[in-house]
Amino acid sequence: MRGLLVFGVLFAAAFSQKLFVGDQVLRIRASNEEQIALLRELGELEDLQIDYWLSPAQPGLPVDVRVPFHSLQAVKVFLESNTIRYTITVDDVQELLNEEKEAMMVSRKFERSSNSFSFSSYHTIEEIYSWMDNLVAENPDLVSKIQIGQSYEKRPLYVLKIATEYGKDASLTAILDTVDIFFEIVTNPDGFAYTHSTNRMWQKTRSINAGSSCRGVDPNRNWDAGYGGPGSSSNPCAEMYHGPSPHSESEVKSIVDFILSHGNMKALLSIHSYSQMLLFPYGYKAEPAPDHQELLGSYAMSWVLFLPDRADGTTIDWSYDNGIKYSYTFELRDTGRYGFLLPASQIVPTAEETWLALMKIMAHIRDNPY
Amino acid sequence: MQRRSAARLGPLLLLFLLPLAWGEGPEPPRAAGELQVSNRLAGQAARVALHYLNYRLGSPSALRALGQVRKATVKTIPEIGHKYYLQFTTEDYKSSQNVGTCLATVFYLKRKPRPAVNINCTYTKDQKQTREDDYSFYKKMRQQTKPITGNDIPDSYGNIEPALEPAWALAVAGSSYLMWEKSTENLGYFMAQVKNVKQWITKDDSIDFDYSVVLHEIPTQEMISCHLRVIWTPGHPLKVKYFCLSENQRSEFGEGSGSESGSTNGIFNEEEANF
Repeated sequence: MRGLLVFGVLFAAAFSQKLFVGDQVLRIRASNEEQIALLRELGELEDLQIDYWLSPAQPGLPVDVRVPFHSLQAVKVFLESNTIRYTITVDDVQELLNEEKEAMMVSRKFERSSNSFSFSSYHTIEEIYSWMDNLVAENPDLVSKIQIGQSYEKRPLYVLKIATEYGKDASLTAILDTVDIFFEIVTNPDGFAYTHSTNRMWQKTRSINAGSSCRGVDPNRNWDAGYGGPGSSSNPCAEMYHGPSPHSESEVKSIVDFILSHGNMKALLSIHSYSQMLLFPYGYKAEPAPDHQELLGSYAMSWVLFLPDRADGTTIDWSYDNGIKYSYTFELRDTGRYGFLLPASQIVPTAEETWLALMKIMAHIRDNPY
Repeated sequence: MQRRSAARLGPLLLLFLLPLAWGEGPEPPRAAGELQVSNRLAGQAARVALHYLNYRLGSPSALRALGQVRKATVKTIPEIGHKYYLQFTTEDYKSSQNVGTCLATVFYLKRKPRPAVNINCTYTKDQKQTREDDYSFYKKMRQQTKPITGNDIPDSYGNIEPALEPAWALAVAGSSYLMWEKSTENLGYFMAQVKNVKQWITKDDSIDFDYSVVLHEIPTQEMISCHLRVIWTPGHPLKVKYFCLSENQRSEFGEGSGSESGSTNGIFNEEEANF
């Protein structure tokens, strides 16, 4: 076959050259069965090490192939000499191979301020903390950073205070509510760092459990509300391990101390993944919270309301029992397809729909002070 | 199928007539003793029904996920178990497009290892297309001279490499058998990730994969590692063998070949002789 002969000559030439471009991905459109057959044969040449992402199947359907840099010239000449059309869809696969890492690298290059932080990719704990500092530096009148404690591995636990004023409209004069909002963006920095470094599915803290090789406590079972009940586990190896005692985890104790010393918290919204639900107290007892009806009344329709699973020692049960009437758990996307491994493309849409719900709740709190 | 089940649970024949009557109308009956079901348990039962369906259909291109539960009631049958009557919508597993509605019963039996499922669904996706998609995946795998392999699907960032997507879908179908077997009224499962896939090149007509998968158990949150062997020929029942290790190193294993009892109006050849 003429095509293969030409290719064979150039193959040797390509191998003797030093090419410094990275691997590329080509999208090929074969126009007839003969071209399909040629592409299949190309795939069988082991030295080329081409990798079909979409294999040659039939004319008209796209064929995607990753070509290592040492084979690029040979493959392209082969295609061109057989008048097989192609386009370069990825110029350098080195970056695409680990797509989110690439996005993170690119966004790091351009990040000099919080304004250009890319919200549509995952970030490390260092990047998030750095973003927080940038945010505060750029908006000193609006945002301040408070350290409320330390994690088990001595990472700082930070809360961002957003001071906003409702009732700026001249029409709302009867009650001028000044509400501050506190965001604790990373409540479990040790666990979060561990998902990046070692085990993407890690859910607990990273504290050492005496007498066990298993580490970590479920930070949503460690609160002093129905603590230790059957909706949690006493086994240190279990995901829902409640810990040796209520508030044993510094990550939990720091929030407890912060809320109690503040003394005037009106709402607590605990944000988790996944299952797209909105949960309200109680998890530890069967009876609904006294403010059940009101809690049900007031948020975005896209949330599915669920009575919680039996769950003991949870954040919102504790906060509700400590006078914070508006206590909710948000479970974010999705409903199980990707679960914990949610594609980064869903970060922004998830945030947008959650924000709508938060806004509704805040408006309700503003309009119904207690 | 109904008759066979009734024969095995003779005295409860009457109760099994209910679904027959129900099949004619759009709503489950509201006989005395039926209770409204909590959203969580209804969703859980609906998912079990879909695990069963996805396994029995054995079609990676036609996997379904739960949309919304429209109606759910439960009947307690003393000494036997709880039977759920469900109506729910379904979504295409990959695209999330609505693809139809199902009526199902899920019977959690006290003395049986797995829930008994009857399920009937409408399906709005082009079945000729899904058959073709299945077949082209099958053909591509049959043509492999080097076995395909892969790790971490989806990866930590939720990405699924396009070339491995059908193998992942087959893992979902195979895991569905396993998740159906393990599900109880209170314990449900999602397939969280394929840690590893390795193809076995075979001389016969089937394609053959070894999978390591991680299941997410609800509500315990446990992540359970299982090993799956899936053998598949399009249009035939999936053959699945599995072996799971739990946190406490308790091992469980099982084997499925498409001849288990239950019913669906899906497109496959039942092995009548096994009943």
